[in-house]
Parts: sequence; C-alpha cells; structure tokens
Amino acid sequence: MSIGTTEYSATVYEHFRAPRNVGAFPAGTLGVIEGQAGSRRQGREIILALRLDGARVAECRYRVYGCPATVALCSVLSERILGSTLEHLRAPMGLALAEELELPPAKRAAALLLEDALGAALARYNMTSRRQTA
Amino acid sequence: MSGSIYLDYAATTPMDPRVAERMAACLTRDGLFANPASAHGPGRKARAAVEAARAEIAALVNATPQEIVFTSGATESDNLAIKGLARFERQRGWHIVTSRIEHKAVLDACKQLEKEGFEITWLKPDAQGLIQPDAVRAALRPDTVLVSIMQANNEIGTVNDVAAIGAMLQGHSARFHVDAAQSAGKLPIDLKQLNVDLMSFSGHKVYGPKGVGALYVRKEPRVNLEPLIHGGGHERGLRSGTLATHQIVGMGEAFRLARESLAEEAARLTALRERLWRGLQQIEGVLLNGHPGQRLPGILNLSFPRVEGESLLYACEPLAVSSGSACNSAEQEPSYVLRALGRDDQLAGASLRFSLGRYTTEAEVDQAIEIVTREYTRLSALAA
Repeated sequence: MSIGTTEYSATVYEHFRAPRNVGAFPAGTLGVIEGQAGSRRQGREIILALRLDGARVAECRYRVYGCPATVALCSVLSERILGSTLEHLRAPMGLALAEELELPPAKRAAALLLEDALGAALARYNMTSRRQTA
Repeated sequence: MSGSIYLDYAATTPMDPRVAERMAACLTRDGLFANPASAHGPGRKARAAVEAARAEIAALVNATPQEIVFTSGATESDNLAIKGLARFERQRGWHIVTSRIEHKAVLDACKQLEKEGFEITWLKPDAQGLIQPDAVRAALRPDTVLVSIMQANNEIGTVNDVAAIGAMLQGHSARFHVDAAQSAGKLPIDLKQLNVDLMSFSGHKVYGPKGVGALYVRKEPRVNLEPLIHGGGHERGLRSGTLATHQIVGMGEAFRLARESLAEEAARLTALRERLWRGLQQIEGVLLNGHPGQRLPGILNLSFPRVEGESLLYACEPLAVSSGSACNSAEQEPSYVLRALGRDDQLAGASLRFSLGRYTTEAEVDQAIEIVTREYTRLSALAA
C-alpha cells in the first residue's frame, strides 16, 4: 500500500486531466482505420482510430485504459498526428514522445504500446488497400 | 494542509498540538534535556517524565509499566518481538506461525528467520481478511515457538479476534505476538484479559511523534527475548540506547489523549466511515475489501471496477489517500493483502484506502465522495 511515487511532468498532468479527442467515430464513418494494442488484464489497453483524408490523417480518436502516462501519450498523439502522411506515421515515434513528456523509464512500455496500436491501424490500412487494389 | 483532504491517517497522523507542546518542553536547557539514566537531579527529572509516559502506554492497554519497552517504532517492536523471541527460544523449536497479510515489518522479520533456518507457516486469510483461530490451531506443532497475528490490518482495517486466538493458545508453549500498531488507541485493549505475550505499538499512528514505539513484554509468565541492540543495558537490557525523552513523553501524552477519547472517537469515526461508504456505494460494482462489521472505525478500503489503479489515484489527487496500485509503489506488485483476499490484479490495483482520523470532518467526507465519483465516471468513460 502506498501513495503515488511516480513524478510526472506538467504536460502529462495537463493531458491526463483534460485528454483531447477521446472516443470513437460513429459507425459507418468513411475512411476510418482502427488499431488495438494491449489488454486490461495486462494493465494497459489502447484502441486508436484514424480518419483518413486521402493519405493524410484528418482526425484521431482513441479509447484508453491505463496509467496517467498512457492517457497523456494518447492525448498528445491525437493532436500531433493530424495532417501527417501515412508514410510519416510508419517511423517509430513512441520513445521520442516519451522523452518529450519526460516519462520515467518504467513508463516507456506505455509509449511502445501506443506505437503498437498505431502499427496495428496501419497494418489494417495496408490490408484494406491491398484488397481494394486486387 | 492546504489544497488536500487528508484521509491517510492509517499511514500516519499529524501530531496533536498538545503532544507537540509537551515534547518541546523536553528539548532545551530549561527543559527535561538531561539523560534519563543519569543519577543527578536533572537526570532524575527526565527519568520521572519517561516513567510517567511508560505508565500512560501501560494504562491504555491495561498492562503494568514494567512490561513496556520503548523502541524506535512499531517496525522495531515487531522485529524485537519476533526475532528476539525466536532466537531466544531456538533450543526449544524452529517453527513460527504468521499470516500472509501481516505488516511488512512482521513478514520481513519472519523471512529473515527463514534464512536462519526457522520454518514459517504463512496462514491465508479468509475472503474477508480474517485469520480464523481454527486456522492457527491447525498450523500449530509441538515445536512452534511463536504465533504472530496482527490485531487490525493496516490496509483493510479488518480486526482479528486476538482474544479467541490467545485463548486457543492456552496450554501450548508457543508465545503469542500481536502487532497493534493500527488498533492501539482505536479499539479497547485489555492485556490482563488477553492471553498475549508480546504486543507492538507505534507513536505516530496515534497523533504522537514518529520515531518512537513500544513493545509490551509480558512479565507473568515471563517472556524472554534476545535483544537486537546491545550497549548500555537500557530498557531491562532489551533495547540499549539513551532514551529519547521528548519522543517518549510525546508518545505517552498521545496515548493518554487516545485513552480519554477512545469510545467517543470510535463512534464518530464509524459514523463518518459509514457516510463515506454509503456515498461511494452508489458507484456500480464498487467492492468493499475486508469484513463489513469486524473492522476498525476509521478505515474503508474499496476496489473499483473498470478503471486503472494509478490513474484513479492521480485523478483523485486533492485527496491524500493510499492505493493498492502497483505502478505507484516501490514494489512493482499490486497490494499483496488484496491479492491474498482473492482480488484479481485489476481490482487489487484499482483500490483506495480511505483512513479517517481525529481531524476528519463530515464536509471532507462529502468532498471525497464527490471527487471520487466524478473522477471514476470520467476515467471509466475514457476506456468505454
């Protein structure tokens, strides 16, 4: 039994208290790809949804179960990702975000999970576009 | 305590100003600064203050002053009781019975003895966190030298029936140690009526100073301990070191004040705790950890479904409460107490311990209900 001992940066606190773009797109919204990573059993779960306009991200929504760092990472990404090309999103960005948010080393797993969710969404896009090409 | 609502009295309590006043009078040249072991006048005065404090500790639990040994805190008291008894009695036996939900001071002292060759039986609590006397009976062996069971659990507040466990031990040669760090000053304790050989107390859980505690060591029949600290032979040779007059006087005053208001304060805290529980029970699926009735007046431990523990704790930040969450603790594991009760990792992690005390008001309880309900709703919506 203990009180919190993790010290978070002001940015983490700010996003954790007022996370941006939480939720999901209404069913049937066109151009949406979704990626999921983690599980509640493991202590963290992210379901990330991107609405694409051509090859660029027009909107981002997410649902998140996890520690304040996980929530803040999703919130920051949901703003940062707007206008990005899919090509740009393929570059790993989780650890850079973790560094930017000054997360302690023990919380890097949250950043990697976010990368996994993004990767899962992009994989879904690849599958869909292959199907459309075929 | 600007900005926060302190509901963590089981972790520690603010010192009562009346205690601080008594302590301050021991520190400087015009006070009781002399060494209580000195034979001169100032020494005798300090010694008289120490002995008066010892009498207050004894009075709270109906022991004799000669049965009270001052230590640096309940952790040392637990260590002295467990290691001291086991090492003294090792010619007689190598078996100890304790439970999995004892305070770390007891668990780690027992683990140390395990390394020294003792065998430990770690009893599992029942689903409500109680150690049943029958479970203790079943674990006893002819070579059992010690049974150590806490009176009240620090996380869930559940109160064991130490009277029944003690009675069951009548006729067995095992000694009975009870960690009463959480219960002393909160529940009536009558050591003349209990078959208890050793009992640990803390100063700072009862509005006294940190850094001082006491161990009750029964005189009749006599209990022998091997000391942990040597040098000078203070405290009947059980705990050497110059007595910290100011700490001891503070603890004595704190125990005196606790004795004066025990029944009244227990009733007030029970009412506040029930108010808090009624308010938070409105959250769907919230679970009470521990026994619904057999519990300390001031502790309420709840598990919250569908939210993550560390987030819940941080979201409720205006509240100073404790959590069973793994991410927050130095120990990267959810509460071992709640896991022992059968809660899964999520429920053990997403738990809050509210512990109310002398300065808790109804308004603070109502604010706590509002904050937890609002933040729980917000966090569960994030994951929906």
